Amino acid sequence: MNSLAALTWEPQYWSYPFTHLPTGLWTSVLVGATCGVLGCFVVLRRMALIGDALSHAILPGVVIAFLVTNNTGVWGLLLGALLAGLMTAVLINVVSHNSRTKEDSAIGIVFTALFALGLILISMLPRGTHFDLKCFVFGIPEAVTFAEFSLMTGIAIVVLGTITLLYHPLKLISFDPIVATAMGLPVLFFHYLLMGMISATVVAGLKTTGVILVVAMVITPASAAYQITNRFSNMLILAGFFGALSALLGTILAYVLNAPSGPSMVLAATFIFVASMLFSPTHGYVFEKLRKARLKRHIEGEDILKALYKLENSGQTSTRENISKDAGLAIDGLPPLFGDLIKEGHIMLANGQATLTEVGRERAVEMVRSHRLWESYLAEHANIAPEDIHHHAEKLEHAHELADEVDRTLGHPRHDPHGSEIPGKGD
Amino acid sequence: MQEANIPSETKAKQVAISLRDLTVSYQEKPVLRSISMDVPKGQIVGIVGPNGAGKSTLIQAMLGLVQPDAGQIRYYGRPISECRQLVGYVPQTESVDWDFPVTVLDVVLMGHFGRLKWLGRPGRKHREEALHALETVGMAPYRNRHIRQLSGGQQQRVFLARALCQKAEILFLDEPFGGVDAATEKAIFSLMNNLASSGHTLLVVNHDLSVLDRYNQLLLLNQRVIAYGPPRLVASEENLRQTYGGRLSLLDQADYAMADHLQ
Repeated sequence: MNSLAALTWEPQYWSYPFTHLPTGLWTSVLVGATCGVLGCFVVLRRMALIGDALSHAILPGVVIAFLVTNNTGVWGLLLGALLAGLMTAVLINVVSHNSRTKEDSAIGIVFTALFALGLILISMLPRGTHFDLKCFVFGIPEAVTFAEFSLMTGIAIVVLGTITLLYHPLKLISFDPIVATAMGLPVLFFHYLLMGMISATVVAGLKTTGVILVVAMVITPASAAYQITNRFSNMLILAGFFGALSALLGTILAYVLNAPSGPSMVLAATFIFVASMLFSPTHGYVFEKLRKARLKRHIEGEDILKALYKLENSGQTSTRENISKDAGLAIDGLPPLFGDLIKEGHIMLANGQATLTEVGRERAVEMVRSHRLWESYLAEHANIAPEDIHHHAEKLEHAHELADEVDRTLGHPRHDPHGSEIPGKGD
Repeated sequence: MQEANIPSETKAKQVAISLRDLTVSYQEKPVLRSISMDVPKGQIVGIVGPNGAGKSTLIQAMLGLVQPDAGQIRYYGRPISECRQLVGYVPQTESVDWDFPVTVLDVVLMGHFGRLKWLGRPGRKHREEALHALETVGMAPYRNRHIRQLSGGQQQRVFLARALCQKAEILFLDEPFGGVDAATEKAIFSLMNNLASSGHTLLVVNHDLSVLDRYNQLLLLNQRVIAYGPPRLVASEENLRQTYGGRLSLLDQADYAMADHLQ
């Protein structure tokens, strides 16, 4: 009989000889990589709860397989888990399509019911059988046998091979299931295929992270990869890499801290996710701040060029006060911006007074052209009050790479709505 | 006897889409009843009706996504199961996951996947066709952009390009003018006109009642066909009131009465 007492663990996690480590470590790395790649589909298709459901719901399958074969042979376990996993996916579909119950509730109902069934089945095991519920719940990678390692290797090869071969249809059904169905792709079959692969990977992952935490290996590395890349193929590769890295770092962490390895792997994965949140080149907090600051500086520089152009054309002296007033910038903020503009070759400083260079002048004309074109565009195409047009164009003018397109759309106007001449390109 | 001379006339009259008595129910409640219409090739048809009129159900049925209770849908005389690639769909902007990690070119290439089947991979020829489709809609310069970095009008064009890449001749556009400005609307219409004159047939679900006269044909829909024909004949105040009028028809009342009896 199992009792809850069996769930508390001994303080010594590394009681197994260290020579056992490689099998467990490599199995964890394979589980991490496979879960990571599969996790991309889970994350993108918003099925995180299903990952959790599958890992819990395979308990009855594992117990029944154990009852039937009367040993913990890996093939029996795999088959039991696969059947239970697919049954979960089918039951969720049946419940959510044949009742008012929404999918998230259907998932909750189905997997808790199956997990509960598994617990009852365990209590009915014959006296004296050793069924390691603790291992099922928390995972002990150090206890992974060579047979289990071989099984995971096989699963990894099959899963990664299948995803490579079916990469394109899997991408389409994940991105746009409606069009995939309309094109005649068997969307439901692919859905169950993914569910089956997740179940198989999760059952192997139970030994390394346990039923509660294995979902982290599915969702976390994939979510980290999602932060970083805009390409689906890159996301799959990165997620696989992050999953493997989490397993490796987690094992080292566990060894150093003398802590359980499953939770250490999950914390390692979480660490990678947080780092990706902060440092992603496209969505990350740090780069976003940097990019915004750089853009702001760039825009302020362009405003200074335009102010100088106006002052020089109207014969006024380009004192800092005048520039500050015209560009709407604080005087104290000007010196570093001057520094940028000098470096870019747009202005020269003589006796503390700024003048436009040839290049700077061209750039300023470009700004004026862009501003007046945008004003014309807003007057003609947008529902904006005439007195607000200038204000909006002040912002839009910085999108001068679009000026040519605006010019074309408007049919090359000569004057802006205020009657000022629009300089031609390269004037 | 003058067969060689007529084609342009008859071709224009060739029926691309034909619906006969199409009836579709959702949870035992009829959503569409007895829809019949013929759409000649090269026409742009606007589908207009209030929420719940069955516009999206009609599209789903025509794409073969829901099974009709009765009736027939034919494309050039064939059922959808025989010509799935001939029918393309441009989804509603809200239904697309714009954060999905795909570029513009990736999306357009997906147009090939119906023909490539399972193990096929898009090759150089497919890429060229996808680029050509992008050129047709004027989006080739944006091919490496992520789909999130596009404006509303550009997003519509990319999905149109996917349908063209699929070599679809019949195009469904699901509310393409939601959240786009007047200039973009104009641009999309001129693109649709180009496609129609090159032999495509377009069905456009429309929410905006202001642009109805730009369509060749209008289908006023509220569970049944209120009117179908050229806008100048069909878009009368009476017809629109009937389409959008709040009052339930006797047929609807009968349905609700039946449902009550059943319970």
